[in-house]
Amino acid sequence: MPQKLIDQSSLGHWVAALIAEHKVYGVQAKADRFAFDALTEADDLRLDHDVTILPPKKYFHPPQEILLQFDREAMTFESVFHAEPFILLGVHPYDMAAISQLDKVFSMDHRDRHYLARREAATIVVCDVQTASPEVFAGCMGHATMEGQSGHDMLLTLLDDGRYLVDPVSAKGEALMGPLAHAPEADQAALQARKRVWDRNRRQLQKNKLKMKPSELPGLLAGSYDHPVWEERAELCYSCGSCNLVCPTCYCFDLRDELNWDLRTGRRLREWDGCMLRGFAAVAGGHNFRARRADRYRHRYFRKGKYTWEAYGEIACVGCGRCISACTANIANPVEVFNRLLEER
Amino acid sequence: MKPRVAIFDFACCEGCQLQILNMEEELLELLSVIDPVEWREAMSDRSEDYDIAIVEGSITREQDADRLRAIRERAKVLIAIGACATLGGVNRLKNHFPMAEVQKIVYGDAAAMPHLATMPTRAIDEIVKVDYKVEGCPINAQELSRVIRALLAGSAPATPDYPLCVECKKGENPCRYDYGEICLGPLTRAGCNAWCPSNGFWCFGCRGLLDDANVEAAEKVMEQYGRTADELREKIILFNTPREPGE
Ligand code: SF4
Ligand code: SF4
Repeated sequence: MPQKLIDQSSLGHWVAALIAEHKVYGVQAKADRFAFDALTEADDLRLDHDVTILPPKKYFHPPQEILLQFDREAMTFESVFHAEPFILLGVHPYDMAAISQLDKVFSMDHRDRHYLARREAATIVVCDVQTASPEVFAGCMGHATMEGQSGHDMLLTLLDDGRYLVDPVSAKGEALMGPLAHAPEADQAALQARKRVWDRNRRQLQKNKLKMKPSELPGLLAGSYDHPVWEERAELCYSCGSCNLVCPTCYCFDLRDELNWDLRTGRRLREWDGCMLRGFAAVAGGHNFRARRADRYRHRYFRKGKYTWEAYGEIACVGCGRCISACTANIANPVEVFNRLLEER
Repeated sequence: MKPRVAIFDFACCEGCQLQILNMEEELLELLSVIDPVEWREAMSDRSEDYDIAIVEGSITREQDADRLRAIRERAKVLIAIGACATLGGVNRLKNHFPMAEVQKIVYGDAAAMPHLATMPTRAIDEIVKVDYKVEGCPINAQELSRVIRALLAGSAPATPDYPLCVECKKGENPCRYDYGEICLGPLTRAGCNAWCPSNGFWCFGCRGLLDDANVEAAEKVMEQYGRTADELREKIILFNTPREPGE
């Protein structure tokens, strides 16, 4: 597919044209942070953002959604799907890697049609990172760039000369090109310049430094079940679940029914849940499989570095660094924990 | 037959009742499934025959405790609404002082009059059995409406047992600690949709501390933010003065 080279003002015109024709969500400033939100002005798009408070998973697996409407007396229900097409602008490569993981999870075994309907409705425009966030370590996890990764529809890269390399990689991505079809094609020099951006990002997106390869994590954790770090660090844990909720690869949810005033019809809601919350592993009859904070604290790291690897071949951490900043107690840094396990093996 | 519902108030600002009146269109839906028989803020009728008692306010006088016991005896189900009823609320701050002193401060020369006798503030469940609680200052009428619907349908209303941070994160708020504030979110029961942090305030803890709130951790964490455990405790007592003084 033709890779194009455009300047920043053509990018602005192009984004404005997209907004005029499509439902577009893009990264914007939120207080002194960044968040994905409905984009109404091209100027509000912040491709220079470091990281968004919540990952873009919220568009595929929302914090709360209605799965179905039911009628208790008629014993009927109707599933609710959201399939309105939309464009996501400015997804970082590590978040794209996480979306690809979710794609895998939600199509495994029972295919989750609610997730997949939203996913199919999306056109994802990834943008290479321009500003490293204070805690990012995607470079250690192999997710600093899109090289060797897929799932997106288009890749934007700001080159050092101030121009953008626009790279549509799917039919959906190509359909977005519109006016850009007439832009000059990216030459070898531009592709080289993009490689330099990638090399730099691989080095720079390592604000925390993992002292091992991600593939070594399952083995390391296998020997660390009884390590003192779990008890020690869990002492400061609020069990607030923030580290779960801001994580782009966490997908756990709870279901809840709500009745209308006729007390007959109602809806089934799906809401984000998290393994750090006390009630997460509680079952009917009151038993809790992880009643202790330290049990929950350990579980999260085992889940990230070992269990998901065994279940579907992925390390459930892409190195976005969100949990590190989201933890008020400052104990949720996976790199600190994994490095310590390595040093004290 | 629609269940007969009575709403009672004790020591409080009656803001929670007002929240029910403010339900607007939903109020009509509520009235389509219940039969209000006593509700001082909205009607002049009174009744001693009801199925569900909704109680707001805290108990600060012996005669109020007696009245509450009588209400409990008549009601099949008792719902405590609002921080005053569920926690003792702001009223409980007086428990940090001797009763004679607070009585004097508030009523001056009239303090000796028998109907002004005061006792340490109690939450409703410290006097009688409470079946359901709707927390908050004020309550969120949506939550009360959910509890009533679940109750009428014969299912147990779900109340969150996780910290407010969950809802704050779902709302994609920046954390108040990032702005040097002490927020009680990590210790406080969720359910208000992180009302205060979503509007740029820290959480005051009006929904009560979680059963397993890690207060010890919070005290230690203060140091990381250049704040002290005392500052944290000062914030906590506003709505969560411990049940026994000195506890
Ligand atoms: S964010 Fe921190 S305090 Fe909250 S559950 Fe995670 S580790 Fe515990
Ligand atoms: S602002 Fe308060 S409720 Fe929100 S995440 Fe921070 S500590 Fe938790």
